[in-house]
Amino acid sequence: MSSTATPKPSLYRSLFNPFLHIAGGTALLVGWTAMLLASIVSYFSKAHFDGAIDIHFGAGGKYGIFLMEQFIAWTSVTAVFYIIGIAFSKSKIRLIDVAGTLAMARLTTLPAALIGFLPVYPVKLDDPMLALTIIITLIPGIWMIALMYNSFVVSTNIRGAKAIAWFIAGLLTAELLSKVLLQYLIPLV
Amino acid sequence: MIKKLPFTCPSCSGLLQVNSLGCERCETAVSGKFDLPPLAKLSSEDQQFAIDFIRSSGSLKEMAQKLGLSYPTVRNMLDDLIQKINKNE
Repeated sequence: MSSTATPKPSLYRSLFNPFLHIAGGTALLVGWTAMLLASIVSYFSKAHFDGAIDIHFGAGGKYGIFLMEQFIAWTSVTAVFYIIGIAFSKSKIRLIDVAGTLAMARLTTLPAALIGFLPVYPVKLDDPMLALTIIITLIPGIWMIALMYNSFVVSTNIRGAKAIAWFIAGLLTAELLSKVLLQYLIPLV
Repeated sequence: MIKKLPFTCPSCSGLLQVNSLGCERCETAVSGKFDLPPLAKLSSEDQQFAIDFIRSSGSLKEMAQKLGLSYPTVRNMLDDLIQKINKNE
């Protein structure tokens, strides 16, 4: 945003950048509730969010694993993007905004978890429904990445090409971090 | 009708200066080259934001509530404004 003109709510903003209007503690509460609900749904639909931006279907397990996957993914992106924000933003950023908006971005894991109930899973490579299945799975994934990007921009005030570069680098680092954390913490459940 | 104070040149978009000041009572005119004060160089929207910020005693939380925006959005708007003021000086 280059002007101080007040952004007006719109459907696009509500779907892709609600953080212009909601951040901090409220966003954290909304996000945590969604993550909790998504973990319950994914336990039954066997949808695993096993990484910062991962979604896999098919394998069952203890409920604690599904809950931990959600929180490890969220903790990883929050830690990485907060460090990037502290290091490269010229604004005085707050952890609660980074954590809250990134938690809210995980609202999309709720519809994503529901996909696991579709009768197309588990998918076979020669299944004619494979392409459709991939598209259905990608929609909430792309939506979550768009929300995470806007969350990063609003909460850290890093914009333009710099924001795109740091977001990609941050997402890859968070993905790696989440995989390491999952490897060590999931056996504890 | 509220006349807006022009602060950029309609021809080259450069910042305008004040060339003359006049007394409404005795019609004395003072001429010279005077810079506009920093806040007068801002757009009316930016000036309104600065006024609202002062009226909120500098509370970003209060500003966010009044504008129906999130705290980081208002903080980013303020940072943009600070950047503009620094650039204009």
